Amino acid sequence: MAKKTYDLLFKLLLIGDSGVGKTCVLFRFSDDAFNTTFISTIGIDFKIKTVELQGKKIKLQIWDTAGQERFHTITTSYYRGAMGIMLVYDITNGKSFENISKWLRNIDEHANEDVERMLLGNKCDMDDKRVVPKGKGEQIAREHGIRFFETSAKANINIEKAFLTLAEDILRKTPVKEPNSENVDISSGGGVTGWKSKCC
Amino acid sequence: MEEPPLREEEEEEGDEAGPEGALGKSPFQLTAEDVYDISYVMGRELMALGSDPRVTQLQFKIVRVLEMLEALVNEGSLTVEELRMERDNLRKEVEGLRRESSAAGREMNLGPDKMVVDLTDPNRPRFTLQELRDVLQERNKLKSQLLVVQEELQCYKSGLIPAREGPGGRREKDALVTRASNASSNKEETIIRKLFSFRSGKQT
Repeated sequence: MAKKTYDLLFKLLLIGDSGVGKTCVLFRFSDDAFNTTFISTIGIDFKIKTVELQGKKIKLQIWDTAGQERFHTITTSYYRGAMGIMLVYDITNGKSFENISKWLRNIDEHANEDVERMLLGNKCDMDDKRVVPKGKGEQIAREHGIRFFETSAKANINIEKAFLTLAEDILRKTPVKEPNSENVDISSGGGVTGWKSKCC
Repeated sequence: MEEPPLREEEEEEGDEAGPEGALGKSPFQLTAEDVYDISYVMGRELMALGSDPRVTQLQFKIVRVLEMLEALVNEGSLTVEELRMERDNLRKEVEGLRRESSAAGREMNLGPDKMVVDLTDPNRPRFTLQELRDVLQERNKLKSQLLVVQEELQCYKSGLIPAREGPGGRREKDALVTRASNASSNKEETIIRKLFSFRSGKQT
């Protein structure tokens, strides 16, 4: 293309148990909408959203994974290309919180070593059905040295903030270079992202 | 008291132990015949006692007791016969069920990691994980291409790239057209079509 519409491309990945609201979180961020009907994601899907940070147009390619166990062999192959991973649990579902350690292990096994991680406790609008105290989420995030937000895709709480914070954290690690001329690169699992962070 | 002599003849032919033998039998193996033998033996002994009215008195009671014993023995052997028949029937039934379940077990015994697929279920699993993976990859590739095209279109619409910009712009446009026509000619070979080719194959 003659004119690029963005300066940087960040690939993000949403993971977590089935039904915690990964697709809804993404839908809120990309389309600013919410749908109550639960449709289980088949394997893997993605959405694109361009944001502006520090004067740079950043194209976010956000991969939405199926939480169901039967899709894991498909979804784990998408970890490799991710620069940021959002691990989502449901504050009304204790099991989804218990499984966080399992998802963190998955990240260790399948993702890039320097991937930026973030923990989201979704459905925080449903305080009457809450079983996971906010403090427990904060604690586990602190233990693993990652950021934490309680979000609600339904009530639009902290959704944009979470994505922008994750993008900022990635941007901070990104070496200043000429804008990538590649278009949306759909390659998955290959690990070819042309992106390498340089830790100070 | 006319019957006993008759009985004697019968018994002496059939039973080696004689009428006295019935008294030595286990009460649970007693038959009606044995009860008749016993009554014959007792009748004979009572007769030997003479016609004392006390003996006659006793004889009535003994007859009554023997009748009761006969009824019990008859009833008992009938019940035994019924139970025996019932037992045999149940045995046959159990054997039949056992045979059935073992036949079914041989069919169902697939091991812990196997499952049965109902071939008549229109919603049964059909495609492999690799096929799903390929379809998803293709879907996402096409989706990303669509986004690129939409973006380009937006650029043209907003006047960012004038349609008659010159040779460079036109080349861009030509490239788009060829890309589009390539896409349509490639359509026939998409994985989705390949996967569903069995449908057209069935009809021909």
